[in-house]
Amino acid sequence: MIEMTSILEFFRQDKFALVGAIIYILFILVALFAPAIAPYDPQEMVRVDGRIAFNREPEKNFKFGTTNMGRDIFSQLIYGARPALTVGFTAALFVMVVGTVVGLVSGYFGGKVDSLLMRLTDVAFGIPFDPFVIVLVSFLGPSIWNIVLAMALLLWRDTARVIRSQVLSIKKRAFVEAARVSGASHSRIIFSYIMPNILPLSLLYGSLAIGWAILTEAAVSFLGFGDPSSISWGYMLHDAYVSQALSRGAFYWMLPPGICIMLLVMAGFYISRGAEEVLQPKLRSM
Amino acid sequence: MSWKSKIASSLLICLLFLTLSGGVIASQGDRVIRPIYVITRPQSSAPDEYETLSYLTAMMTELGIDARLRVVPWEQQSDLVWFERDRWDIAGWQMTARPERLDPDEFIYNLFHSSTTVDGYNFIGYVNPKYDAIAEAQRVTVDPEERRELILKAQEILVEDAVYDFTVHPMISIVYNTDVFAEDSVVDMAGMGIRNFWTYINIDPIGDQKAIILNSGETVQAINPFYISGTVDSWVYELIYDRLMRMSPEGLPEPWAAESVEWLSDTEVQILLRDGMKWHDGEPVTAKDVKFSFEAPMTGEVPMYKPFVDVISRVEIVDDLTLVFHLKRPWAAFEAASLAKINLAPEHIWGPLFEDLKTRPENAESIQEDVPIGSGPFKFADWKFAEEVVLDAYADHFAAPKVDKWIVRFVTNMESTLGMIQNGELNFLASYSGDASLLENLVSRNPMLSMVSSVDLGYRFIALNHNRAPFSDPAFRKALVAITDQEFVVEAVWKGYAVPANSVIAPALEFWKNDELKWPQGGLEQARQFLKEAGYEWDNKGRLLYPSGQVEEHTPSF
Amino acid sequence: MTLNWKYIGRRFGQMLLTLWIIATILFFVFRLMPGNPLTAYIDPNFTKEQQEILLEQFGLDKPLFQQYLVFLLNLLQGNLGTSFVYRDDVLRVVARVLPNTLYLMLFSLIIAYVVGVLGGILLAWLRGKKGETVGIILTLFTRSAPQFWVGMLVLAIFSFRLGWLPSSGTGPAGVTYASEWAKFTSPVFWKYMLLPSLTLAIYLLGLPLLLMRTNMVETMEESYVTIARMRGLSERRVMLKYAARNAILPVVTAMAVGFGYAIGGNVVIENVFSWPGLGRLLVDAVTMSDYPLAQGAFLLAAAIMVFMNFVADLLYSVLDPRITVEDMG
Repeated sequence: MIEMTSILEFFRQDKFALVGAIIYILFILVALFAPAIAPYDPQEMVRVDGRIAFNREPEKNFKFGTTNMGRDIFSQLIYGARPALTVGFTAALFVMVVGTVVGLVSGYFGGKVDSLLMRLTDVAFGIPFDPFVIVLVSFLGPSIWNIVLAMALLLWRDTARVIRSQVLSIKKRAFVEAARVSGASHSRIIFSYIMPNILPLSLLYGSLAIGWAILTEAAVSFLGFGDPSSISWGYMLHDAYVSQALSRGAFYWMLPPGICIMLLVMAGFYISRGAEEVLQPKLRSM
Repeated sequence: MSWKSKIASSLLICLLFLTLSGGVIASQGDRVIRPIYVITRPQSSAPDEYETLSYLTAMMTELGIDARLRVVPWEQQSDLVWFERDRWDIAGWQMTARPERLDPDEFIYNLFHSSTTVDGYNFIGYVNPKYDAIAEAQRVTVDPEERRELILKAQEILVEDAVYDFTVHPMISIVYNTDVFAEDSVVDMAGMGIRNFWTYINIDPIGDQKAIILNSGETVQAINPFYISGTVDSWVYELIYDRLMRMSPEGLPEPWAAESVEWLSDTEVQILLRDGMKWHDGEPVTAKDVKFSFEAPMTGEVPMYKPFVDVISRVEIVDDLTLVFHLKRPWAAFEAASLAKINLAPEHIWGPLFEDLKTRPENAESIQEDVPIGSGPFKFADWKFAEEVVLDAYADHFAAPKVDKWIVRFVTNMESTLGMIQNGELNFLASYSGDASLLENLVSRNPMLSMVSSVDLGYRFIALNHNRAPFSDPAFRKALVAITDQEFVVEAVWKGYAVPANSVIAPALEFWKNDELKWPQGGLEQARQFLKEAGYEWDNKGRLLYPSGQVEEHTPSF
Repeated sequence: MTLNWKYIGRRFGQMLLTLWIIATILFFVFRLMPGNPLTAYIDPNFTKEQQEILLEQFGLDKPLFQQYLVFLLNLLQGNLGTSFVYRDDVLRVVARVLPNTLYLMLFSLIIAYVVGVLGGILLAWLRGKKGETVGIILTLFTRSAPQFWVGMLVLAIFSFRLGWLPSSGTGPAGVTYASEWAKFTSPVFWKYMLLPSLTLAIYLLGLPLLLMRTNMVETMEESYVTIARMRGLSERRVMLKYAARNAILPVVTAMAVGFGYAIGGNVVIENVFSWPGLGRLLVDAVTMSDYPLAQGAFLLAAAIMVFMNFVADLLYSVLDPRITVEDMG
């Protein structure tokens, strides 16, 4: 199985992966300590001298200014890390688990099972992603969990395909053949030989999935289907859009959430960049 | 449907179990008011509704109610409110300004008469025989002064009973380009702003650009004189199709395609058509066309216009230009609701189409002409689906427009429209529901832009479902009215661009508006007083309880 | 380059199966969605009677399974139903906006792939140097920024602040193109298409760029390239003549798949730029509970996606003989 030291080595060697990891850790810390860092409640309509502080530009009390309804943008930004990471990690977990299992079972057992699972994957590939998420969210209601569910239903497809390819090629290798011939059980072969070799790929797609999930949540929120009770960065951008922030010249509102999204998504890409040799043409990544 | 029913049946079993076991514990817990879901549209499509209802939810929580904000898209909201009248508790709603609504009949009658509670506009379920009587009386009272007394009384009752929780009449702010159009060639219509029919035919281009280019957030769905399809669609209908009468800028019906409208008795009205009117294809407009236009909705094929011709018993043609309408009973609003509403459609085109409809299951709404033919001041030129509709001025019209084209572009990005009015892609900003102070700012920075703000005929309100306790209790409703701080809504939500509302009749209708209504605005203190007087109490956790003897009978909406 | 007809036939059959499953899923998802199509017609005095007549007209009064069979039957005849909102044939409604989406996608993909391929070659050339790192970081930036955000900023700068390009629609107000071809070849149309396709292209170019680069780096280490180098050919000649030519094959396949993905229309871009395309139509249909239209548009998009995947598979098997039939599933 994967050893702790090899993972650390990996991060230390590859500068990109290191930077990515640092960014993640930073955001996780921000999310965890949000109540301590954020000066106000993100939903609170802040009052200054008894009047609501609408559309304030950045100043001492409001580091990034306030929104159209008088809410502190900096606080919203801080708290926004929570839904971002929640959505990202949950979706990534789903993608990794479902995609890996499907790819593994499909590739290893072949035959009818393989056919069935690959048809399922084809169906998942055939459904347009963003519209489907929107349909489901309209169906189930605008909660952050429904967005995650909707994404999870389709996002595993790339991972499954790729893992399956990889399993197929590992299966053909001499040592696996040898193990089979010598009577090793399926589970032993899978856990001892196959898993260690596909886990990196799995993690890779997991980290990519974090980025895709965050971007999709942002797009869905932007269009107005997002969860108003958990103010994600995508929701902040939606709010800015709906309040004509750009026309107001409120770049302090329009830029920070977008930049945060960019940083977190990029961090995922950086980590996956480290595993360069994995991005092979055979595997048709997204 | 299987998994849905599985969930439903397992819920039912759970409920049964809980009820049986809970029945043993008949305690004060039953008096606690259930969680109340406050339904609103999303922030993107209705920012004002969203913010107003968020605020109200917070205030209701202060009162001890377990209030929860629930965001649903418009279609789901209207589905709930309209089709599931026994399920929702409280929802944001609005009535939009339409020329026909300048006559108080539609609001006073349709919204609150007990006959429309099942599937009509009285979706809140308000039943008051005293009110019914007044609403019916005003319908048939032809004398304006007498009618006015009735309308004033009706408004009083609505306030006493706290039927709607009114919030505001928004201000409609419209910006146009004064380099392109002569200032003051726009017409401000009572309660409608300058975005109206009169402006479109009067607006005067003074430069090289001879077209009026305006915007809409929604697309046009259909161009059909027998279909009420959408707000933008109605702008187009008003221009392509003429009507016998039109609502004047002052808000009263005046003859239009009709030369004169003469009441021979309470139930007979004689119409003399203008001479020389032609359809856009060159054929003359005659009494036959008018008769057809009013009789078509009486068949089953035009469900949306049927109510407006229901009162007509027959249309008699006297000669090529003269008709007499015979009514079943007097209707005070006949001119506004019928003569000024029914589109005149050419019999030589629609006659055969209606004949054909008799053999098919569809109705007239499914017909879409390639080139709609009307007799209005503009004629159809082009319809780029989901992009724009272009109309050409009809020079032969008796009130031919001064612009040579009327173009509406569908722009989904509201922020874009601000840029477009500045760079000339638009010269008339007709639809802008964003921050009005921003608009004002824009105008002050751009000398070529001019803004006209008018108080809307329409209003925003919070609908309360009278079918479900505690909303069935006027005292409870009054308490909600008291905590709906209109000053706050005007300032925080509308940035000052609104006027508090206390009636379905807008201030723009000076003649009909009751100025002496007492609208409770005493905040939490007054609300608590109303509730105490009606027997409500609070438990030791601060939760609001029904008066003793009354228990919670309804289940939460969600 | 041999064509395995049996394989192609099998894949084709699988494609049809996939389409049928998708059609079924879509049908049931839309029917089970809460929301009443009649909400499109809320109006004074819309009596229960009239509601029932309307339901009958749309065939919504029949049991669900029967509706499903009718749906399938119609589908086989190429009939996607009638839109509730537009009261017109779904295929005709979709056909009005589909060209706009196709043109936008095509334009964006071409820009993205041309820039991407060139960029990939450039980065492979810069291998090991600082420029490579900078290039990769910039590319990842484009892939991490939300498209609507980029779109809003692009609009603010190029359309409103600088006034270089228009902000919405496919053409100036009141102007009609003489024909579909005239529109497609009109520089005015391109002007209107430029900003949205630029925004889309920015996002899309990441994939071909990185893919091309990786492939180039790999191929450059292959034996035949080493031999060419040993023969004294210039580095640039080696790159362009040998490496690039082979590296580009998977990129072409990716483009086919990319086109499939893109056909769903891009709701976000269409919203920001008011572009009358399939994405917007689809989402509007969903929110208005216009089942036939939503279904039809979705199905069409899915069909094209599945078909493009099929094409990509074929290209793969044809272009890369190393892939066995088993690998393709």
